[in-house]
Amino acid sequence: MPIAFNSIGYFCSLVPVEIITAAGLKPVRVKGRAETTAAADAYLYPNMCPYIKSLFADGLDGGGSACDGVVFTRSCDGMRRLYDAWQAYVPNDFVYMLEAPKNCDGLAVEYFASQLRIFAQQLGKKTGAEVKEGALAKAVKAANQVRHSMQELYAMQKKSPLPVNGSELFKLGLEVLSGDGQDTAGRLMSVYDSVKKQAGPGQGRKKPRILVSGNVMDRPGLFEIIERAGAEVPVADLCTASRYFERRVDENAHDVYGALAAAYLGEPRCSRTATPAEIFARLGKKVKEYAIDGVLLTSLKYCDQQLNDIPYLVKRFTEAGTPVLFVENDYLFSDSGRLRTRVEAFIETLES
Amino acid sequence: MLKKYYEEMKSGLEAAYQQKPRAWTRMNIQLASTFVEAFRKDAKVVWTSFYSFPMELLAAFDVVPFDFEIFTNLLPMFDADKAVEIMNRAEEDGYSTDICSFHRLAVGCCLLGYMPEADLMLTSSYYCDGKAKANQSLAGHYGQESISLDVPNEISKESVDYVAGQLRRIAAKLEEVSGQEFELNRLRECIRVSNRARRAYGQLADLQKVTPYPYIGIPVVNMSIFSNMLAGREIQEQIYLDMVKESQEKIMKGNPVPEKYRVAWLAWFPTQPTNITQIFRENGVSIVMGELARNYWGELDEELPFESLALWSLKNPYVGTIEQRLKGINEIIDGYKLDGVVHFSTDACRHSCAAQKLIGDALKERDIPYLVLDGDMSDKRRYSPDRTQLLLENFIGVMAGRK
Repeated sequence: MPIAFNSIGYFCSLVPVEIITAAGLKPVRVKGRAETTAAADAYLYPNMCPYIKSLFADGLDGGGSACDGVVFTRSCDGMRRLYDAWQAYVPNDFVYMLEAPKNCDGLAVEYFASQLRIFAQQLGKKTGAEVKEGALAKAVKAANQVRHSMQELYAMQKKSPLPVNGSELFKLGLEVLSGDGQDTAGRLMSVYDSVKKQAGPGQGRKKPRILVSGNVMDRPGLFEIIERAGAEVPVADLCTASRYFERRVDENAHDVYGALAAAYLGEPRCSRTATPAEIFARLGKKVKEYAIDGVLLTSLKYCDQQLNDIPYLVKRFTEAGTPVLFVENDYLFSDSGRLRTRVEAFIETLES
Repeated sequence: MLKKYYEEMKSGLEAAYQQKPRAWTRMNIQLASTFVEAFRKDAKVVWTSFYSFPMELLAAFDVVPFDFEIFTNLLPMFDADKAVEIMNRAEEDGYSTDICSFHRLAVGCCLLGYMPEADLMLTSSYYCDGKAKANQSLAGHYGQESISLDVPNEISKESVDYVAGQLRRIAAKLEEVSGQEFELNRLRECIRVSNRARRAYGQLADLQKVTPYPYIGIPVVNMSIFSNMLAGREIQEQIYLDMVKESQEKIMKGNPVPEKYRVAWLAWFPTQPTNITQIFRENGVSIVMGELARNYWGELDEELPFESLALWSLKNPYVGTIEQRLKGINEIIDGYKLDGVVHFSTDACRHSCAAQKLIGDALKERDIPYLVLDGDMSDKRRYSPDRTQLLLENFIGVMAGRK
């Protein structure tokens, strides 16, 4: 018996929101809203990524489960185990594990496409809302438009001083991902138009420009610390910032599932599948395009995928003469005092 | 430096085997020989994961398999202080202490030039993210491509085809590296050999059900990690058959140590020296089965070699959702008359540790005492003998109270 669903939550950028939209549902990127992860500690191992624990603490408290269903992916070991724990301890009508390959070649794309078809079928079965190809093609166009609009805004950030504060743009991106509001693409275009009108050439003191790169971040704390310290963030290569919005699905592909699979497994990729050398190449390009003065690498604590890449990235940026700082974060930014000291010291070195 | 350790280990074990031919010694000679051989100038060395890669495919080529995790992480057994010194080298280079000690030690060995050169660097997406990323880091260091066999969480025709397709591509890579043409018949023969070894192993696993079983089963746990290195090679069956024979003889002779408690061991056994074995001996505790030592995989189909090997990977208890792991644990409980279950919990092993609560709940339902024993596989800075003693003695007390 189908259940009346309105929204489907997801936790990782690998979930194609287009399929959820095509089923007539609202895709919501679930944030860990809990201010402490203590509730999760009784269920999950203490040395788990704080994002996972925060999501779970929130789920136990009825947060993530406020969505009618949730979709997991094989993003990382932590996410796999979160799926297990969620199934056991968080009530949800639809808890789905979408198999996302950890390779991204042709075989992986073909397999992922088969899994996306199954996901669409299962979603349709559960909600009674069949995912039709026409609706899916329409959803692909709409999602492309939203991503494109965000990219346009990011492209304007190449100017100095910044047309939009980095923290404001980041928050706008989070709003888009949370699925809040109507006509997201239209709203973004209107922001774009107003920013374009306001943006003037070279006014004010030039501030140090910082590229922030890391994994998931749902709170603007780090951006605000950087801005208060007198620097600006033109672009952020995060799961929840520019990296997400750079993706484009081929609207003219014969097989829409294949196109979704190729786009979601394709560039830009995170530490899950990209090698550190590939990540360095992408970030290096951004350093040039956005006239970056310093790179701030950040990682969630206990993220094995990201932490293994850090030594290589720090070494390469140092060799390239780009100042670089690495800071771990606990997702909640509960240690903001310590973080502020390190960021301020870094920005001082850039200014000098 | 490590090469020298393994040369010494090999000659020491060979001498011991001459005096007292034991199957376990023979297994370890194979391990040490393989590592020594990896340094041979003309060897075609394929880095891989002994415990998670279908080694039958490598056995179909004349290559030397090499596992960087096992190679480097037996070092604490020889010299735990030296291992810490090497981990420090990786930490100085920026590798966080939150990264598994297994991988910090491997990276340190790489930076210090202790590893043999690789001709091909294969790994698998399971058991853990850390291993796959460490393989990437090391491949980057050596200017090699890192190839990962991606094994999904679900078993279906699609996932079998996906994994089998990757194995075919890897076979093509092995052709390039070895300079040999892939022979389907040779792979089929490796699969036949592997099936015979599996049957022999099945006998061994069944013998461990006998009560009392006069064996402290650490080899059983460790075997699940490195005996797969020999899959597809005749010697694997021979060693298992020798183990069966030795076990039967032990059972016939009776039990030299009274077996008071039978436990299953989940996850890994530390490679650094610990007081676990001593405490178990003193208290009559036998480890009768390891979670990954269970004979969980089915007979391989030589007519569909790639698909069979794909299925072997997909059936691993550490692939898939927790149900696959719990199913295996329940089978051990059903077959081995257990008094308790111990889960060794190494700090950074997130994929195994994060399920502790779920496993605990499942064991509670079955009324089986359960201990989460925290420590570290190879970093002595994170292992406390006193705490281990306290936890184990309390646990033994719980089991005693139920007798």
